[in-house]
Amino acid sequence: MIDCSDFQSFGQYFSTHGFTDTVTCFVQNPPFNTANIGNSLWMIIALPILGAFFCGVFGKFMGRSNTHLIASASVFGSFLLSVMVFWAVNPSSTVAPNPFGSTLRYAVGADYGTWFQAGDFRVNFGLLADHLSASMLMVITGVGFLIHLYSTSYMSHDKAYWRYFAYLNLFVAMMLTLVLADSLVLLFVGWEGVGMCSYLLIGFWYDDPAKAFAGRKAFITNRIGDFGFLVACFLLVLTMGAFTLQAKNNNFPGDGTGSSQVFKAGLSAKGPLSFAAIDAFTRALPSKADSNQVTLSTVIDNGPLKGFAYGAMVTVILLCFLLGAAGKSAQFPLYVWLPDAMAGPTPVSALIHAATMVTAGIYLFCRLSYLVVLSPTAMAVIAVTGGITALLAALIAFAQDDIKKILAYSTVSQLGFMFMAIGAGAFWAAFLHVVTHAFFKACLFLGAGSVMHGNAEETNIKKLGGLSKEMPVTWATFLISTLAITGMVPLSGFFSKDAILHALHTTTLEGYEHILHWVWYVGLATAACTAFYMMRLYVLTFHGTRAPDAKVPHAHESDWQMTLPLVVLAMLAIAAVAHGIPVMENANREGPLQTVMENYLHPVFQNAMRSIEATGFVTVEHEEGLPWGAWGMAWAIALAGGGLSIVLYRFVFKRDGQWSGPAEFIRSLAQHKFYVDELYELLVIRPVKFVSFIFFKIVDSLLIDTVAVRGTAWVTAQTGAALRYLQSGDAQSYAAIMTLGLMCALFYALFKVL
Amino acid sequence: MNASFDSRLLNLVIFSPLVFAAVLALLPKTEKGQLRSLTLAGMLVNFALTVWAFLRFQSHGPEFQLEYRVNWVSEIGLSYHLGVDGLAIALVLLTGLLGPLVVLASWTFVDHRVKEFHLALLLLQTAMLGALCSLDVLLFYVFFEAMLIPMYLLIGVWGAEERQMAAMKFFLYTLVGSLLMLVALLAVYFIAQPTGARSFDYATLYNGLLQANQQVAQCVQQGLTADTCTTASPAALALLKYGPFMFLAFALAFAIKVPMFPFHTWLPDAHVQAPVAGSMVLAGVMLKMGTFGFWRFAVPLFPQAARQYQLAIGVIAVIGIVYGALMCLAQRDIKKLIAYSSVSHLGYCMLGIAAFTPEGATGSAYQMLNHGVSTSALFLLFGMLYERRHVRLMSDYGGIAKVMPVFATFFLIITFSSVAVPGTNGFVGEFLVLLGSFKSHLPLWVSALAATAVVLGAAYMLWMVQRVFFGPLTHSENKGLSDMNAREWVTALPLVVLVLVMGLQPQPLLDVIAPSTRHYIDRALFASGPEHQDLRRVQINVRGLEPEVAAAPPGQKLNPAPLAVPMGSVRLLPATTPPVPHGIPPPVAAPLPTLGH
Repeated sequence: MIDCSDFQSFGQYFSTHGFTDTVTCFVQNPPFNTANIGNSLWMIIALPILGAFFCGVFGKFMGRSNTHLIASASVFGSFLLSVMVFWAVNPSSTVAPNPFGSTLRYAVGADYGTWFQAGDFRVNFGLLADHLSASMLMVITGVGFLIHLYSTSYMSHDKAYWRYFAYLNLFVAMMLTLVLADSLVLLFVGWEGVGMCSYLLIGFWYDDPAKAFAGRKAFITNRIGDFGFLVACFLLVLTMGAFTLQAKNNNFPGDGTGSSQVFKAGLSAKGPLSFAAIDAFTRALPSKADSNQVTLSTVIDNGPLKGFAYGAMVTVILLCFLLGAAGKSAQFPLYVWLPDAMAGPTPVSALIHAATMVTAGIYLFCRLSYLVVLSPTAMAVIAVTGGITALLAALIAFAQDDIKKILAYSTVSQLGFMFMAIGAGAFWAAFLHVVTHAFFKACLFLGAGSVMHGNAEETNIKKLGGLSKEMPVTWATFLISTLAITGMVPLSGFFSKDAILHALHTTTLEGYEHILHWVWYVGLATAACTAFYMMRLYVLTFHGTRAPDAKVPHAHESDWQMTLPLVVLAMLAIAAVAHGIPVMENANREGPLQTVMENYLHPVFQNAMRSIEATGFVTVEHEEGLPWGAWGMAWAIALAGGGLSIVLYRFVFKRDGQWSGPAEFIRSLAQHKFYVDELYELLVIRPVKFVSFIFFKIVDSLLIDTVAVRGTAWVTAQTGAALRYLQSGDAQSYAAIMTLGLMCALFYALFKVL
Repeated sequence: MNASFDSRLLNLVIFSPLVFAAVLALLPKTEKGQLRSLTLAGMLVNFALTVWAFLRFQSHGPEFQLEYRVNWVSEIGLSYHLGVDGLAIALVLLTGLLGPLVVLASWTFVDHRVKEFHLALLLLQTAMLGALCSLDVLLFYVFFEAMLIPMYLLIGVWGAEERQMAAMKFFLYTLVGSLLMLVALLAVYFIAQPTGARSFDYATLYNGLLQANQQVAQCVQQGLTADTCTTASPAALALLKYGPFMFLAFALAFAIKVPMFPFHTWLPDAHVQAPVAGSMVLAGVMLKMGTFGFWRFAVPLFPQAARQYQLAIGVIAVIGIVYGALMCLAQRDIKKLIAYSSVSHLGYCMLGIAAFTPEGATGSAYQMLNHGVSTSALFLLFGMLYERRHVRLMSDYGGIAKVMPVFATFFLIITFSSVAVPGTNGFVGEFLVLLGSFKSHLPLWVSALAATAVVLGAAYMLWMVQRVFFGPLTHSENKGLSDMNAREWVTALPLVVLVLVMGLQPQPLLDVIAPSTRHYIDRALFASGPEHQDLRRVQINVRGLEPEVAAAPPGQKLNPAPLAVPMGSVRLLPATTPPVPHGIPPPVAAPLPTLGH
């Protein structure tokens, strides 16, 4: 630990200390009062909302430039505030309020009062920024601002620019809500809010039915995930409610971290779905069987979950959350919406469908890291899901010709990598990949947008080619980002992807000893595939000769508003390397060196790590020194994949290269995305439509309305018609019936008497 | 504000539309502008009064507030008794808000029999407000039935092509239910007060059944039937034997009104045929009479039977949720789709009511308000489109967003509310209902099944939005459609604003509803276990009948009826309750007039 107590200003400290120490102390001593910054967190969200309001309501009348100014400025304002927050969470003196007793260090937060409350359930408007949220803030507002800037040029021909910027600002606001929320319910506001904005933006050019459909598909697929999210929340409330009643005093050891009273008071102050509450719950629930404590293996003895063990419930909850995360982060089997989402404007694909929204699932699991590590089963499932997704998407990307579709599948595949890391308990590696991926994938998408912009909206890579001369900036930045995603040294993608593979290689889950190893193989294969298809994309687009069937004979380079973000993002894709190099010592100054990211996120994941140590569910093999061997292998794999691709597409196949035989069959399968969409159509959509149609025709119209309702009316009418004949008005027949009746009565009476 | 005015406030709320209707009757029928303006003025006055009443309601006060009570037909124990609890006052406010919007929505839509149309609207308003404010069950019944007539006329006279069939279906369906309810109501009347002083007063009936209900619960918990339970009083035995049937009679009446599966088929027809105003009022307020009836009568009066049928009601509610959503996917007619979405949304209300948990009940109450706002807004907005094109099929539209962008924006916001996107009102209600359902004794799969409507709801609403608003403009008739005009802005904007306000700041409303929720839960769980035996937690305290009635019309001689004094809880718990005329004094100073000085 560096002692920064005599730090006053950068210059003063630099004159007496080294550069590293000075930078560290500079970061740890923000030049403003950090005590009240938590109370200002709402402004980060409010600014883009205000921007969205002004652009949406007045944008048409304000004119293009004013709209651009308002939209970009509001996000830039948020960015400046985010920088302050990012800075403010660094000093160890920064403490966020936490009603659950334990101190929440390296975080700022505020509670703005009740949102809604019923029974003993409550949700507050509470915001919290720790290292994880603050990093996300930087990515969202930073990349978000660049994409706003890019959009001012990209959308310069669109008449509905005001609608576009309103949606984009609203999206940023919702994403910020997602990462700043201090409870699952408020997070869900952002979660659904980004889904809604994504729906609006994918279907931005709504007069094309296919685009409108893509938007709807995205929203509904996300909703399937949201169903899982909601069920997980409800089950979590039930589990924590049962725990509150069942917990013993030993569950809350008197080491100052809280007692059962504190826990209950915290629950009623913050509500059971606040992260602080879930954190406190996981800390109070140990894994080792102990008769004096409620543990993971204890069976719930009250409420609707009676009879289930706590550990089993945690697994079920996590699997439900996995469904939610799979929807939002496009994991198998809910990934199908993301490639279609490319119908939206390209900057939207860069911001929403690459850099920010789709990482929400990973953010969620990082947020709930202390819960995730309690269930090795769920971790194994998460890792396997990630593995299947990564490989499947990479294989599909092989055979696609649409530049945006390839990038979309590549995003799905990279998100799969992040899920693998979550499954291995390497949350920091997952998050590092989130950050680096945000940079290089946003750059790739924006580059693709620039290519499209300069080539009359052509997206087929076979109809491009030879752009390296005509679009030099786009080419250079695209190359850097491609190398980054393929995992070339010394670009950021190498370190983040390698961190994930390394974690998979060295981690073992209790009860699932070999699973991560298999996932590791899948990861390696996927890494090779990634290098292959990305190089293919790059080579076909930028090298060789210009395709004869190109829409325009010569491409033109884009305006500075578009190229500047490309350059910045490409530089970030390089600079983010700094996060991934293991140079830091951990807090105890023991064990192997940590990467900057791991070290930085340590306060966020420390409870999870403590849990891992306590439970023994996850064991990590530490190696001494730097993992040169693993690095070398990862690098060799990327090089082999990329090299093969260059050779094939530059020299062997060229543009018109055809596969033959069984390869052609596989290619055709991949080109049709393994018919997953068709499978969905067959297994889900058609049956639901069919059932609803049958129900409507048979149950509603026929059984209820015709048989039951009209039938009753018919019977009534028929009875009336029949009885009409009795009311004939013929006095003689009345008299006859009366006599008959009297005789019967008499007969009956006689019979009774006798 | 002086307290005696408060006690008259509900009278003003209920009858101000009637007064305007009387004035309206004097106007010549050709003066359409005047007729419309006067009705609008009447509705605005009425709305102002409901707001006033809402503001006078204190969420920490006694359960029923703004009470007003005078003798009516003392021979049968019928008094004219008004009062509102938290849920009722919230629904009153909703009704008051919809009043002027309904008039504005029909401003140009209705052009024949304008006078009769507005008379019907005003009468309907009075009847709905009356039913919400009645604390006497017979009075409630009268208002409940009175609602049918103007609504029948609205559908039958100003409706679309098949209006008469729809009106008839609506009328007969609802009438069957209410007649059953009348029978059950009379049975309650006789059981609750076995001898002598009988009363139709809600509090008296409820309190009168309390001990019987307690005994019934004990008998049932011991596994005894009416034949073997020897300790029970005659009233309890009767309740044990016939309670389930009486509950079912009430439940059926209200289930038809809600409507719950499988009694829902009148709703799509009625909605499709009704004019905009009719659909708005039907969806906004009248359907809530069903859920309100469960909340106020069916469940509290027969808690044991209600608990016995909890699973059945819960399952039927969930069937309604999922089935209604599936029905939506099979529709081609937009109004029919919205109508079926009502079935689905009201299934949520019923699920919350059947959960018997505070979260569920709160969510259900909130969902009633949400549905009133969102669905009537959907009908209102679609009415604007219908007025322009006079077609209802989705295939007749397409690409409307191109020609009516503002309209499309409004519609989309309401759609998101209907789909329950967080931040809109729908989310709070749906979330709480589902949470309450998960927390309840209902099996987990029932609640999980209910949650699937999250997906289905998005599927059908967005499908409809896409067919209507997105894609190319396929019909040349749609090319010249004008966007919303000023009147339409004014009509739609309040509801759109409410969607957001109720979504982001639900707590003030929830605070008003909270005491009702608490009472509802206490009453639903009454005697279900050792912790639910306290009579004083559940019994209803209302004011007794005054010996001298200040508000009596001049010249009428009012003798205090012999049954008048031992009202409310007084008779029930002589040992624990001081014999004051208006029951146990409420813990917090209430805005009640001091009585009997």
